[in-house]
Amino acid sequence: MLSSRPAPSRRTRKRILVLVILTIVAILSFGAIVVYSVRPIIPPYLLDTIVYASLFGLMAMGLTLTYLTTKVPNFAYGSFVTVGIYTSFSLLRVDRINPYVSAPLAFALGGVGSVAMYLGVLRVLARRGSSLVALMISTLAVDIAFVGIFGIYSDYLTSLYGIIDTKYFIALSATPGTDFSLLGRPGLLYVAPVSLAAISAGLYLLLTKTRFGIAMRASVENPSLARVLGIDVERTYVFAWWLAGGFAALSGSYYSLWLPGGTSAGSNLIVEIFAASVLGGLASIYGAALGGLIVGASEILLTQEGAELFGSWVQIYQKGVPLVIMVVTLLLFPQGLVSVRWRRIIGSLAQNFRLIAIKVGQNLRSILIRLRGTFGIGGGT
Amino acid sequence: MDVPMFVLFGIDIIRFLIDLGTAYALYLVVSLTLNLEAGFSGVPNFGKVMFVAAGAAAAGSVSGRVAAIVLGINTHGNYNGFIATIIPSVNTGLSQNIILSIELLVLGVLLAALVGAVLGFVASYPAIRLREDYLGMLLLASAQLFQIFLGGYQPLIGASQGIEVPDVFAWAETGIEVRDVVVLVLVAAFAFLVYLYAERVARSPLGRTLRAIRDNEVAARALGKDDAAVRRNVIIVASAISAVAGAILTFYVGAVNAETWTRVTWTFWIWVMLIIGGAANNAGVALGAFAFTFLFKVVDQVKFYFQGYIPFDVNWLEYLMFASLLIIILAFRPGGILPEKSSATLPWRTIAQIVQSESRNIGTSPKPHNTPEQDQNERTDKPG
Repeated sequence: MLSSRPAPSRRTRKRILVLVILTIVAILSFGAIVVYSVRPIIPPYLLDTIVYASLFGLMAMGLTLTYLTTKVPNFAYGSFVTVGIYTSFSLLRVDRINPYVSAPLAFALGGVGSVAMYLGVLRVLARRGSSLVALMISTLAVDIAFVGIFGIYSDYLTSLYGIIDTKYFIALSATPGTDFSLLGRPGLLYVAPVSLAAISAGLYLLLTKTRFGIAMRASVENPSLARVLGIDVERTYVFAWWLAGGFAALSGSYYSLWLPGGTSAGSNLIVEIFAASVLGGLASIYGAALGGLIVGASEILLTQEGAELFGSWVQIYQKGVPLVIMVVTLLLFPQGLVSVRWRRIIGSLAQNFRLIAIKVGQNLRSILIRLRGTFGIGGGT
Repeated sequence: MDVPMFVLFGIDIIRFLIDLGTAYALYLVVSLTLNLEAGFSGVPNFGKVMFVAAGAAAAGSVSGRVAAIVLGINTHGNYNGFIATIIPSVNTGLSQNIILSIELLVLGVLLAALVGAVLGFVASYPAIRLREDYLGMLLLASAQLFQIFLGGYQPLIGASQGIEVPDVFAWAETGIEVRDVVVLVLVAAFAFLVYLYAERVARSPLGRTLRAIRDNEVAARALGKDDAAVRRNVIIVASAISAVAGAILTFYVGAVNAETWTRVTWTFWIWVMLIIGGAANNAGVALGAFAFTFLFKVVDQVKFYFQGYIPFDVNWLEYLMFASLLIIILAFRPGGILPEKSSATLPWRTIAQIVQSESRNIGTSPKPHNTPEQDQNERTDKPG
């Protein structure tokens, strides 16, 4: 029997997380409608923020899925983003297929690549008893191998189809007719947050309402016990890796619509995706989505704010914002946002506030008494 | 004087050997320091590039300014802005002034060591607190952050364009090859010293302490070893040495640019050397670094022959080749070519002699090794 329900508190916590994500997305879409009806002049960086944050949420969810199953930081994860980027790029340039149409194919391809990496490298090494550091190094090696593969692929595209900008290309939406327009705004503005919301809600339903999802959770929580119950743990891991690669490639294909891409686009993102996952705690997919939203949004908003305050030189360090968030997270609360006991912190703050208030009150009283003593205000005892 | 050409298969062999030797020596230094950290102490330093780049940046940006001041060259208050005119006049000044050149080199190296040590000290703060995987992520992220800083902060090394560096070997520039031979001798001596140091550490009680901490932190702590302090010191020393390697490379190349310091070139390749050769075995790492450098340089030399037949850049195959080599080694020979050996002990015969002489001593004159006061001290030092 698969009745291994998590403790109610964790369950509600997950529900709360999913609700938070859905609320953020709802606010974003509501904002979009308001913006359309009121038509104020909104700076383009706000649109960037919405898309960027949603994409990071999606990527961080996938990365956390791989970490949950194998407990190895997957440094090659960024390459699957690049798989998505190149799928939509080459299909658009060669066959004129719209990236939205090719996105499912990108999802499948990224998933296949991810599963191949899991079965071909990580599982082989893990079964041979490799250490954690060896496994981490092997994911780094896969990432480097992908640098070579994308290089070869882009050279191949150039020599076969005469496409020149295969190493580094501008956002695909620059090609007219690629992205649709809704309410006067680019379509990705709606598609990216809606995808994130749909995927996190879908994952929540999968993991809590279906037998396979519950089996997946069980294999993550306690593989040996799950095996005893007759769950095919390997199958659930393979599925998790397929989903993870798919999320990466899907967000990659959206990414290519909005931002310039290239052979190293994904590898350059990997550290930021890690920042999002770490902020989310590396133990909760919904936490990762939340972390992605926060990291993606703060990267653009903080840089914009900083540029307005200190001058445009701040913009050079835009990519540094997620890394600073990650370093601070790892040093202060390595288990991530989800682990922070907000109630306790707020409680202790409140308690301290009471103490501080009492101290200040005492000081004020003593000052008052001294004043009375020197100036004789109030007089007498 | 010009070094004679010796051409084989269309390759200038002497030129090739000089290049190979210099690259090997520098890679050897950095991989030996990584071996100290990752091999012996179990600190997965995925941010190695940060320390090498820090040394290069420090030496590259300061030495030129100092040289300009000493030689009285007008920098117009904007050193990096006028670098294109400053460096040639600095170099002509340096080519006649061996003493100043060497002073500059020493200054750059010392500064790099200092910067590397400080960075290592900073990096050791998380290194003694975080779990392996979190630490790896943190160091990788810090290295990326550092590269963003180098590529963005104009006053240091001119942001993304990079800056030129005064040629402290300009005095050896009689024929182009002689300068390189001088550099080769210098880095070879440096690498040899670092190798001796690493080997001495490995064979010393400290080396055994490092392995003990790596293998069982709790047990080492129970034996009174301060694991945090030992790890911190190892990271500081290793970072300082790798920063010096970065500084020497910068002086050799004559320029420093943030773009060259990526996590592929100075983190991943170094790890490849370590894993191929054998972690926690200095001879193995030396072999691994040689195998890597040799393969790399040979591929560099012969790849042009294949350029015509393959529809893509042969460089990409290099990435695939080393990545798969690494995974194959990890799978089939996880200890590397020369795996870690157990600690070197005295030969059996020597031990037998010591035991014999000891027992004879005890038999004839039962003289204690410690005076009672010393015993007392020891007891108070280590209670229980």
